[in-house]
Amino acid sequence: MTTVLKRNKWEIWRDVVFALFAREIRTGFNDKLGLGWAVINPILFIFVLSYLRSKLAGAETHTLPTFTFMAIGILFIQSFLRALGSSARAIGKNKALFAFRQVQPLSAVFAGALFEILVKIFVIISIVILMYFMGMELQISNPLLFLACFFLLWIFAVALGLLFGIAEMFVKEVAKVRELLTRPMFFISGTFFSLQDIPREYWHFLDWNPVLHAIELTRYSVHSSYGNEGVSLSYLCGAVLVFSFLSLSIYHISWKQAISR
Amino acid sequence: MIRLENITKYYPSKLGKQYIFKDLSFDIPSGHNIGILGSNGAGKSTLFRLLAGSEYPNKGHIISNLSLSWPVALTTGIHPQMTGRENTRFIGRVNGIANIEEYERRVIKFAELGEKFDLPVKSYSSGMRPRLAFACSIAIDFDVYLIDEVTSVGDAKFRKKAKEALLERSEKASVIMVSHEMDEIRHFCDSAIVLHNGELTFYNDLEQGIAQYQAL
Repeated sequence: MTTVLKRNKWEIWRDVVFALFAREIRTGFNDKLGLGWAVINPILFIFVLSYLRSKLAGAETHTLPTFTFMAIGILFIQSFLRALGSSARAIGKNKALFAFRQVQPLSAVFAGALFEILVKIFVIISIVILMYFMGMELQISNPLLFLACFFLLWIFAVALGLLFGIAEMFVKEVAKVRELLTRPMFFISGTFFSLQDIPREYWHFLDWNPVLHAIELTRYSVHSSYGNEGVSLSYLCGAVLVFSFLSLSIYHISWKQAISR
Repeated sequence: MIRLENITKYYPSKLGKQYIFKDLSFDIPSGHNIGILGSNGAGKSTLFRLLAGSEYPNKGHIISNLSLSWPVALTTGIHPQMTGRENTRFIGRVNGIANIEEYERRVIKFAELGEKFDLPVKSYSSGMRPRLAFACSIAIDFDVYLIDEVTSVGDAKFRKKAKEALLERSEKASVIMVSHEMDEIRHFCDSAIVLHNGELTFYNDLEQGIAQYQAL
């Protein structure tokens, strides 16, 4: 006899997220390079780009080593875009699995987002190790701020992704709009430049963007001499709070209809 | 008993809302093996998915104290790139099976896939996939199994086995199934629900239900 456990809501949720997570790892990387590629690909990208830039633009950018400056920019924008994309796609991708009433769309979104952040944590660790062996400067003046920015940006991306994911179940063209909207994010979020490079009177074109705040604050957290003028942690927190609340509310009222179409 | 209360279900389309059920109330009696009969597009699969909680009605509720399986169709929840074993474990975990190894052994015994159990499902023949899907569901002790044309694709031996497995459990469990083959329905069911124009009618006698359905 197989016994079915009597589980409460949270236990079901945990089991389902674990099962989806295992499935994600298993089905996403079926070639010979396997799971390693998910980590190696961003490392190579970040490393090559940052290294070239530090050769071209000189050793320091606004008192920060250029390599660190670039690595933070690319790493953070990538983790934002990947988490956003994977959360938004998770609902549509796992639609067949909602046949099991235990599997809810939020579990699928969360499993995908969890995978993305774990990959990024491994990427950070690998880059730090690489920097150590290349004899680059490794110090951080405010590690807590670094972690706060990293996780806040992730939550922001997942909340936004959930919002898009739900909307895409009702109107599938929203996926195209999402791709269009996220493309310029790479260029307007301070990946390649600092807010300080822009004349002050044009800041209002850029400083509405929470991702820019996250990236600039992270650079500030590494070297306090980098400065944090024009960006604020409370703006970032506020944006995360508003979008998390908004997307969870919309999820709560609409998920049943979203998967019943 | 499964109680449907004021169910309204429609699908949006270019021509406006396509209603499947409008304000439907119905009690599905327990203790019967029920075949659901209806023409194409009458809403058999929709009814199934609503019962299983795979989809939700636009209005109304479905109330039941029974444990229902998921709608076991040809490939529900089976990923072609994962092996039979991985798929089994996934389904076991989602359904909260206490002892996954034991569950795996039951599925292996029932599905008879041999060493193919450890190969990706995409390498299976079209008769083997439903065998895996069916085995995954029958290896869990549900009160009601919802079966959507799965048994009809198997060979004679598999059908016999499926029948035996369901009979073995018939004291505690029952089956609700959809199939277009009357032989199939006769094989497993003793009563029928005819689905026509968004209305359900229960027939205690299967033959009467089939006669009614064929007269439509």
